[in-house]
Amino acid sequence: MNRWLRQHRYALKVALRRLAVQPFSSLSNILVVSLALVIPILAASVLVSIQPVARDLPVSPEITLFLKPSAGPDVAGKLADKLEREHGEDISQAIVVTREQALGKLKENPSWGEALAVLPGNPLPDAIIVTLADTLQGSGQASSLAAQWRTLDEIDTVQLDSDWVKRLEAILRFGRIGLAILAGVVALVVLATVFNTVRMQALAQREEIGVARLVGATESFVRRPFLYLGALTGVVASGIAVGLSAIALQPLNAALARLAQSYGTQLVLHLPDGVSLLLSTIVIAILAALAARWSVTRNTRI
Amino acid sequence: MIEFQHVFKSYGRGRNILADINFRVEPGEFVFVSGPSGAGKSTLLKLIGGLEPPSRGSVHVNGHRIDRMPARARPYLRRAVGVILQDTHLLYDRNAMDNVMLPLDVMGLGARQAGNRARAAMEKVGLAGKEDLNPVEMSGGEQQRLAIARAIVNRPTILIADEPTANLDQDSGRRIMEVFRDFNRVGVTTLIASHDKALMASYAMRTLRIDGGRFSDIQGVA
Repeated sequence: MNRWLRQHRYALKVALRRLAVQPFSSLSNILVVSLALVIPILAASVLVSIQPVARDLPVSPEITLFLKPSAGPDVAGKLADKLEREHGEDISQAIVVTREQALGKLKENPSWGEALAVLPGNPLPDAIIVTLADTLQGSGQASSLAAQWRTLDEIDTVQLDSDWVKRLEAILRFGRIGLAILAGVVALVVLATVFNTVRMQALAQREEIGVARLVGATESFVRRPFLYLGALTGVVASGIAVGLSAIALQPLNAALARLAQSYGTQLVLHLPDGVSLLLSTIVIAILAALAARWSVTRNTRI
Repeated sequence: MIEFQHVFKSYGRGRNILADINFRVEPGEFVFVSGPSGAGKSTLLKLIGGLEPPSRGSVHVNGHRIDRMPARARPYLRRAVGVILQDTHLLYDRNAMDNVMLPLDVMGLGARQAGNRARAAMEKVGLAGKEDLNPVEMSGGEQQRLAIARAIVNRPTILIADEPTANLDQDSGRRIMEVFRDFNRVGVTTLIASHDKALMASYAMRTLRIDGGRFSDIQGVA
């Protein structure tokens, strides 16, 4: 084994010994970092679990034009042709859904079937579902078309179907920014905790550091065990945080399942994938090692 | 070889601890540095050991000019200078063997080689068989010898000791001095700071006398 490796092995051994000498203090510091890490891991779990749901929803905007009940039976077809003619570039397709078709579709759902049976007639209007072209620039243009069509005499109501998807996306975007800020705050917590842990360790090991310098230790040699201490704290804390998050997701998922069921859908929260967790553990370890380096350099200055 | 040329040492804007010190110690010499407490003996030894830089002047040790040496290079010089401070600075969270092995861990020596050298160093100072003891279980004289073992385990060319017999009874002190003499006989340049005139007289070695930061007397005694 070469000298470089032996010195690193020695530093790791010293770091482990220092952790073992004060087990409760070490564990409490690790737990503080773990608990701080649980929050962004849970937030990331919510985001990564909701994102695919949002991704699967139709995001190409659809505009549904509901005609006035007084409109004749062939008005919808003529209007659809007119829209395709006048807005050919903006429209991918315009499908007419007659009031009979709509009622038939509704009756397929047993929960609606009984309610509709007691109605004297068909209360539904004719409708035109306009799928906008993918080339349409932004939601502003879709809103502009919807506003324009709303003024047509035959039209009763215009519904821009992608609005709620956009809202959900906006919420997710907000969530992503929130998560980034949260990650920044947690990074600061990790930095501060490791900085303080190493400061206490450096003060406790002042004698050993002095003796090591006396016998010819370089500053790298003095700093190295503290870097390992910081990195180990980061790695162990990340592992515990992932474990705690997984445990916390169990009751959350049970509650969420009941909520999602009431909306007729399914949603399960899961941890981010293994690669992401591994990468975040590496980032935390590096961050903790840097905090340790900063602390030991400041607190053992000759 | 150790050479001081017009060396001054002060802390901040305080008075000079050392003022215009000039001397030269040849390789293999045994030299006492004498003077009352607070005279600057310890500071002089710290400058030789590269533990502190001089405020002015030049300090040459083993052909290297310490005052111009970058801080990151000084640890490598320290490995060639065995330092025994007045307080032994032993580590009480580990046994005697691990204390002696610390300089070898610093150098990154293999476990077997380091173990052999540490055992040999302990044997040389008369501590064979006490490897597993914690320093706190040792007498004052044994602790001092353990500190010497740690200083010599790197096979230094220079050995400096600050009041190594100060807290010991006469017998223990004499045994410690004999250990230093043994190393000097095999060519290790040895400087010992002491204010014990009787001890120095009994060895009749060259003595650098320092008082109030200045050399007031340099005796060359064969």
